[in-house]
Amino acid sequence: MLKYTAKRLVYSVFILFFVMFIIYVLMYNMPSGFVETKARELASRPGATKSYAEWLEDLNAQYGMDKGVVRGYLIWLGNAVRGNWGDSWVWNVPVTVEFHNTVWYSFALGLVSFILEILIAIPLGITAARKQYSFTDYFTTVVAMVCISMPTFFVATVLKYIFSVKLGWFDLSGMQGRNYMALSDFGKFLDVAKHFVLPLITLVIISIGGLMRYTRTNMLEVLSADYIRTARAKGVPERTVINRHAFRNTFIPLVTMLGGTLPGLFSGALITETLFSIRGIGYASYTSMTQADIPFIMFYLAFISILTLLGNLISDLLYAAADPRVRLS
Amino acid sequence: MSDNRYSLNEVLKARKAASQDKQVQSGEVKLDDLSRVKVLSPGRQVFKRFIRNRLAVFGSVTLILMFLFSFVGPLFYPYGQKQIFYKYEPRNVDYGMVKENTAYSGFDIDGGASVERAVNNKMNSIIKNMLSAGADVDYIQGEEKAYRIEKLADDVYLASAADSQEVCFYGSGEAEIGTYSMVGKKLDYIHDPVEGLEDAVRDAIASDAKGGTFELNGTTYTYTRGKAKSYAITASFDGVQYVGEPLDADFEAALDNEIHLDGTGFAYNGEDYALAKDGGAWHAYRLVEPQRAKVYSRLTNSTYESGASVSPALNLAALLATATGGSFEADGQSWTLSKEEGAWLVRNAAGDEFMEMTPFSVRRYDGADTMEYGLKKALTEKALEMAASNAKTGTLMYELPMQTETGEYVTDEAGNVSTQQTELTLNRSQTGEYVVKCQQIIYVINMFDAPSAEHILGTDGDGFDVFARIMYGGRAFLGVIMGGLSGYYGGWVDMLIMRLVDIFYCLPYMPIMIIIGALMDAMRMDTYIRLIVMMAALGIMGWASVARLVRGQILTLREQEFMVATEATGIKVKDRIFHHLVPNIMPQLIVQATMGMGSVILTESTLSFLGLGVKHPLATWGTIINSVSSASAMQHYAFIWIPVGLLICLTVIAFNFVGDGLRDAYDPKAKR
Repeated sequence: MLKYTAKRLVYSVFILFFVMFIIYVLMYNMPSGFVETKARELASRPGATKSYAEWLEDLNAQYGMDKGVVRGYLIWLGNAVRGNWGDSWVWNVPVTVEFHNTVWYSFALGLVSFILEILIAIPLGITAARKQYSFTDYFTTVVAMVCISMPTFFVATVLKYIFSVKLGWFDLSGMQGRNYMALSDFGKFLDVAKHFVLPLITLVIISIGGLMRYTRTNMLEVLSADYIRTARAKGVPERTVINRHAFRNTFIPLVTMLGGTLPGLFSGALITETLFSIRGIGYASYTSMTQADIPFIMFYLAFISILTLLGNLISDLLYAAADPRVRLS
Repeated sequence: MSDNRYSLNEVLKARKAASQDKQVQSGEVKLDDLSRVKVLSPGRQVFKRFIRNRLAVFGSVTLILMFLFSFVGPLFYPYGQKQIFYKYEPRNVDYGMVKENTAYSGFDIDGGASVERAVNNKMNSIIKNMLSAGADVDYIQGEEKAYRIEKLADDVYLASAADSQEVCFYGSGEAEIGTYSMVGKKLDYIHDPVEGLEDAVRDAIASDAKGGTFELNGTTYTYTRGKAKSYAITASFDGVQYVGEPLDADFEAALDNEIHLDGTGFAYNGEDYALAKDGGAWHAYRLVEPQRAKVYSRLTNSTYESGASVSPALNLAALLATATGGSFEADGQSWTLSKEEGAWLVRNAAGDEFMEMTPFSVRRYDGADTMEYGLKKALTEKALEMAASNAKTGTLMYELPMQTETGEYVTDEAGNVSTQQTELTLNRSQTGEYVVKCQQIIYVINMFDAPSAEHILGTDGDGFDVFARIMYGGRAFLGVIMGGLSGYYGGWVDMLIMRLVDIFYCLPYMPIMIIIGALMDAMRMDTYIRLIVMMAALGIMGWASVARLVRGQILTLREQEFMVATEATGIKVKDRIFHHLVPNIMPQLIVQATMGMGSVILTESTLSFLGLGVKHPLATWGTIINSVSSASAMQHYAFIWIPVGLLICLTVIAFNFVGDGLRDAYDPKAKR
C-alpha cells in the first residue's frame, strides 16, 4: 500500500509537470495579454516618453516574458518549487495573499453545499432504490436528471429572477449589502451569509442529481445481492435489512466517491462565483484568466491539478480501505 | 356492462373458445415447436428493451423533435439567424424645439461700414451690458475705429462705425514723454511734441543734473538720469489732458460724469465720444461722422405661409424699421410693420400678414423650418406661458399631419394633408430650451419583441447542434483509437498512452476552455473559426475519459476466449483490435457518447453565456441568454431567456434519458 501510494505520487509529479507546461504555453501565447495591454496603456498615457514597442520590451523584461516559453516555464517551476509563486499582475499582491484572501469564501461555500448535498441526496437515493418503479422512484429519477441537465447559469438566472427580481429577498449579486460597513461583526457575518444563500442553492441544485443517481444505482445493486435475499429469508425486519445490511454496503462506493471530491472543496465554483460576484477563488481566477495574469493562473491551476490528483488518490485509497476485497497494485 | 363479466366461469369459457379459434386458424402449436418462440436478433432485442423504457422513449422523441426544429425547421422558416427585424412603431419622439434666442446675430447693412472682428465678437456681451444697465446707447473703441451701438427697439440694435480721433486723456498716472539727450541737447518725443518742454527740461537739468521734477503748464514732469548722458522724461497727470484743441468745461463735466459711472462713451454737443480705459487712465475719442454698419437682433422670422422665404434685404429693412414702426420699402415692395402682442408683424402691401418676428425660434428637431405658422405660434405661446408660471412641462393639442402605419403622410382626395389632433408635450431643459415631444410613427429596429408567430425561438437552435455533433464525433474517434491501442498492447504503449490520458484527464476543463476563449477573444478570431476551434478544443479535452473507458473494457475482453481464438487463428493485430475488440465495446461507447453530448451542450452554452464561446452573429442558446443578463432585461424579457433555458435543459435531459435507456437495453443485467 505504501509502495503503491509512493508510485502514484511519483506519477502525479510527472503529470503535474506536463499539465502545467501545457497551461503555461497557452498563457504565454495569449496575444494582447496582460503585458501587451499594460504596454499599450502606458504608451498612450499623456506625456508618455516611450513608444508601445519600447514599453513592451521593458515590461517583457520586467515580467520575465523575454526568456522564451521553455526557459520561462523552467524558471517559473524553479521558483514555484521553492515556494516563490510571485506577485499577481492583476491583483497587485503576492499570489499567495490573494489566494488566502479568497479561498476561505470558496471553502465555506463548498463545504456547506457539500453537507447539504449529502443530507438531501443520499436519503432520497436510498428511498428511490427501496421503492423501485414506484412514483417516488420515477419522481426522484426525473428530478435528478433535471438537476444534472440544467446549466449553472440558467439555474442562477432563474433563482435571481425569482428571489431577487420578483420577490426582492436577496441582492442580485455581490457578497455584501449596502450598509455592510455599519454593521456589527455578527451583523457582517449574517449579511455575507445572506448573500451566500442563492449561490448555495445553485450549487446544491446542480450537484445533487449526480449523487442521488449514484446512491440509487449502488443501493439497487446491493439490494439485489444474495445476502440481502438471505437476510430477508431469515425474517430480518425490513428496516434492519435496509439500514444494516444494505446501506453499509452501499456506503463503500459512496465514501469512495465523496472522499475523492473532498479536495475539490477548495477549488471554488468558478461559474457560480462569477455569476454571483462572490469574491472567492473561482471568481478571482476567472478575472485573472480573462486578463492573462500568468502568476495567479499558474498558481491556481497548479493548485487545482494537485487537488484533482489528490482526489483520485484518496478515492482509490479509500476504496481499498473500505473494501477488504480490493487490493491495490 | 353485464354481471357475467365478473363471473370467473364465463370468462374462462370465453378464453378457451378464443384460443381454440386461434389454434384452428394457425395450425396446432406444440411446446417444442420452434415457431412458438419468437426469435429476435440481438439488435431487435436491444430495440425492444429500449422502447419499453418510457423515459428513454420520451428522450428520443424530444431529440427527434429538437432535430427537426433545428435543422428541418429553418428550411421552412423564413428568417435566418443573423436577420435583424425592423418595424414601424409609434414613438414619443423629439418633434421640435422652442428656444428663446439669447444670442444676437449681426446683419450687414448694404453699403455700410464694416465692423472689425474683435468688436463683432464682443457684441453679445456689449448688448447684454446695455440691457442690464438699461442703456440705449453704448460706445466702444476698437483697434481701428470707434463704434456706437444704439437700441432701435427691443432686441434690435444698430451698430455704427466711425473714424476715431483722440480728444483728450484723463486720469492720474504717469506717461513716458521721451528721452532727453545731453549730447544733441534734444528731446526725442515718443508721441506728439509738447511745446516748450525741451527748454524746460534743459533748465531743470541745468539746475540739478541728478534728476528731479519740474512743472510746465500745470503738468508735473519727472526727469531721471539714465545711461549715456540721457534723461528719461515722464509726465505725471491728474485731470484732463487735451491732445488737440481744448474743449470747454461742460465737456469736462460730461466726461467726468461718464468716467465716474465707469461708462464707455457719451454724447456731447451733437457729437459722440467713446471712452477707452488704459490702466488707471482714460482716453476719450471723438467719433467722426458715424456710419451705419450692422444690425444686431435676436428676432427670428416665422412666415405665415410654411416655407416662404424671407430675403436678406427684407429682413434687414424690417429690422431697421423696428425703430419707428410703420411702413418701409424692401425688394421693390412696400411693407408695414406693427407690434402686436409682443411680436413684430410684417404685412405686405395688400395688408396680409406675411411674417412675424419674435425672439423665439421654433424649429423641427432636425433644424428644418417646416413647421406651419399656427403651430409655431401655439408653441411659442405655450412656452411663454410656461416661462411665466415657471412650469417645467406643459401640453397642448394641435392638428398634426396624420401618418399611416408605415410613417407616410395621409392625403385626402384633393391632395391636402389630413391632420389629426395630437398631443404635444413641452419640456423645459436645463439650458432653457423647450423640447417638444409627440407620438410619431417611425422605423425602428425591433429589439426584444414579445413572442409572436415570427419570433426568436425558431431561428436560434441552429449553431449549437451541428457543433455538438461534429465535435463529439471527433472526440469519440480519438478516444477509440487511443484507448484501443493502449488496451490491446499493454506494456509500454499502454504506459505511455495512459500517462498522456492522465495528463489530459488532469487538465482542469473549465479553466482551460475559458483561457482558450479569452485567447480567441484577443486574437479577434472570426466567429466561424471560433466555432471550429471550440469544437476541436472540446474534443481534445474530452478524449481522455473515452480512452480510459475503452481501455478498461478492452482489458477485460482481451482475456476472453474469443480473443484467444483470434490469436490462435493468426488474425492480424489491426483486425483483432478493430474487427473483434472495438465492436464489442461499441455499446459502451454509444452510451458514453450520448451522455457526453449533454455535458458538451452544457459546456458550450456556459461558455457562450460568459461571452467566451460562440460569438454574436451566430446564435447559440447560451448567447441568447447572455443578451438578457442585466436585471431589468431579465425582468422584462423573461419570454426570451426562460424558453431558451428550458430548451437547453430539455435537450440535455433527452440525451441523458436516451443514454440511460441505451445502457439498460444493451446490458439488462447491469443495475436493474
